[in-house]
Amino acid sequence: MCAIVDANVAGEIFGSKRTPAGEGFFNWITNGNGKIVVGGKLREELGRSQAFLEWSLDAVQTGRMISLTDDSVHARTAQLQKDAKHRSNDPHILALAQVSGARLLYTNDRRLQNDFKNRDIIGHPEGKIFSTGTNKDDTIHYGKFTQSKKRLLERAKCAR
Amino acid sequence: MDTITLENYRCFRREQTARLAPLTLLVGENGTGKTSFLALMRALREYASSFREPDFTLEPYDLGSFNEIVHRRGSRGRQATSFTVGLSVAHPGQSDEVHSDSPHAFKVAFGSQNGVPFPIDRYLKASSCWVQEFMTPDRFPTVQAGTERGQWEIAAPAWHRQNAQSIGTMLDAHLSLERLFTKVASSQKRQWAETDFKPLALSPSFSAEDAKQLLRKLPSPSQAQVRVCFAGAPVRSRPRRIYEPFMAVADPAGDYVPLLLASEAAINGAGWNRLKEQLESFGEAAGLFNEIAITRLGKGESAPFQVQIRKFGPRAKGPRRNLVDAGYGISQALPVLTELLRVDCTHRPSHFLLQQPEMHLHPRAQAALGSLFCQIAKPERQLAVETHSYYLLDRIRLDIRDRKSHLAPDDVSILYFERGDRETCIHSIRIDENGNIQNAPRSYRRFFMDEVERSLNF
Repeated sequence: MCAIVDANVAGEIFGSKRTPAGEGFFNWITNGNGKIVVGGKLREELGRSQAFLEWSLDAVQTGRMISLTDDSVHARTAQLQKDAKHRSNDPHILALAQVSGARLLYTNDRRLQNDFKNRDIIGHPEGKIFSTGTNKDDTIHYGKFTQSKKRLLERAKCAR
Repeated sequence: MDTITLENYRCFRREQTARLAPLTLLVGENGTGKTSFLALMRALREYASSFREPDFTLEPYDLGSFNEIVHRRGSRGRQATSFTVGLSVAHPGQSDEVHSDSPHAFKVAFGSQNGVPFPIDRYLKASSCWVQEFMTPDRFPTVQAGTERGQWEIAAPAWHRQNAQSIGTMLDAHLSLERLFTKVASSQKRQWAETDFKPLALSPSFSAEDAKQLLRKLPSPSQAQVRVCFAGAPVRSRPRRIYEPFMAVADPAGDYVPLLLASEAAINGAGWNRLKEQLESFGEAAGLFNEIAITRLGKGESAPFQVQIRKFGPRAKGPRRNLVDAGYGISQALPVLTELLRVDCTHRPSHFLLQQPEMHLHPRAQAALGSLFCQIAKPERQLAVETHSYYLLDRIRLDIRDRKSHLAPDDVSILYFERGDRETCIHSIRIDENGNIQNAPRSYRRFFMDEVERSLNF
C-alpha cells in the first residue's frame, strides 16, 4: 500500500512544523518500506514546499515517490465531481487514491478522512487514515508517533 | 542476450540471474563487480557465438588467472573449485546477433587447468534440442543430447577427444559432434546403433530424425563467427596537439579514433558528413561544441593533422580550437561518441560495453549522453553501461516517461550491484511508463537519501 500525503500536513513531514508523528512518517517513506504517490493537483500543492521538492528529487529516483500522469488524475477528479458522493473539497486526493490504488492517507482534514473511509468512494481494500490527531488539547496523543500509528505503517504494504 | 546467470564468479557467490535489455545500466558502489559483469558479458557473447573459449585477460578487462576469477569465500582463502556462467535468449531471430540458429540457453562451468579457466561442463539448448558436454567424476569426457523424443548418451569414441583432462577444445569437439549427427541424418538407417547412442530415461532409440532435429535447431560451429563488440576502457586516450597518420587498430582506450575520423574525412565524404553532423548534434545538446573538423597540416593523406572543435557563442562563432585546448571532457568522450555514431556498416558493433562514459563530463553533457543512449539502443544494438552518473540515469528515466525515445520501459534494465558481507547481490530494477523506479531495494541510493535528510537539517 502506498500513501498519499495531504498538502496541509506536508509541513509536519518535510517542513519546519515537524511533529513526532510527521517524523515517524518521514522515516517510514525515507528509510522504511513506505512510498508516497503524487499526481494531478496534489503534485502542484506539494510542490509549493521547498523541502518537499528537495526530498522528491531523490525520492523519485529511488522509487520512494511514485508519480502518476496528471491527465489520469484530472479525468478521475472530474468524474468524482460529477458523481458528487464526497463531502470534502479534495476530490483530487480521492481520485489519486482510486487511480493509484493507494489506501493510506496522511491528513488532518475530518471531511476528507470520512470520504476516504467511505466505501462507496474508496473501495476494496478500505482506506486507512494516518493523522496527527484530532484534539490538540490531548497532549498525550496529539502529534505523537504512537504505537497504533507505528503499527499502521508497519502493516501498510506497497504493491507498486 | 536477455539474461545472464552467474555463480561463484568473482564477488558473486550464489547463483543469480540478471535481466538484460537493449539498454542495461550497471550501478552501484566501487568494487561491487560491475566491471567483472561487463567482462562476463563479452566473454559469454563471444563464446556462444564462436565456440572458442574466452580469454578472460583480454583488454580492457584483465581478470587474471582462475584463482582471481573464481569466488573466494572469505579471508582464509577458501575458494570454489569451479564457476558457472550462462546466458539466455528469449526471442532468437529478432536481432542479427541472435540469429535463428543461436542458442536459446547456454551455460558453461569452468574449472582450472594450469591456473587458466577451462570449460568442464557445457550445455546448449535451442527450443527442445540440447547437447551437454561434461566431465564425469572420474574425469571422463561425456556427451549427452536430447530432442523432444528423448535423450541419449553419445559413446565416447564417437566424438572427438583431444584432451582427457577437460572437455577439450570445444570447437573441435562440437564440430566432431556435428559431423556425427550429419552422418546419422544422411544415413539410410532409421535407427542408429545403441552402442553409439545409449538411450537415457526410457528414451526410444536414436533415429535419423533426431539427428536432423539436432542439426537444424542447435547452432552450427562450422558457420560460427565472432560478432563485433565494442568494449570501451574507463580511461581513454590522451589527446594530442598533432596526429601523425598511423595504422588504425581498434583499442579500448580509443587511440585510433582521431585517425579514424581523419580517414573518414579524407576518403568517405558522405559517411564523414553524416558522422560529423551527428557528432555536432550531440556536441550542441551537451554544450560541448558546435563544430568538429579535421585540419591537415600539409597536402596528401600522409600529412599530419589536428582535430579541432568550435563552440558558438550567443552572437558570434568562437575560434577553432585544438582538441588539447578544448578541455579533457571532449577528448575523453570522443572515442565513445565516435563508436556509437559511426555509420560504416562493416564495422558496426552490435554490442557496446561502456565503462563510465560520463567521465570528465559536465552534468549537462552526462544527461545528453543518456538521451543518446536511448536513441542508439535497440534489440539488435545492445548497450551495457557501467555508470556512476545519476544525471545520465535520470535523463533516461525522463526520456522514457516523456516518450522522447523509441525505447519502451521494458527496454531498459537497471542492475544495482549491492555489496554484502562476502558477496555481491544484483538487483534488477525496472522503470515504468510514468518513469517511476520499480522494485528498488532500500539500500538503492541510500547515500543520496541520507544527504537529503542532512540537507533538510532533520
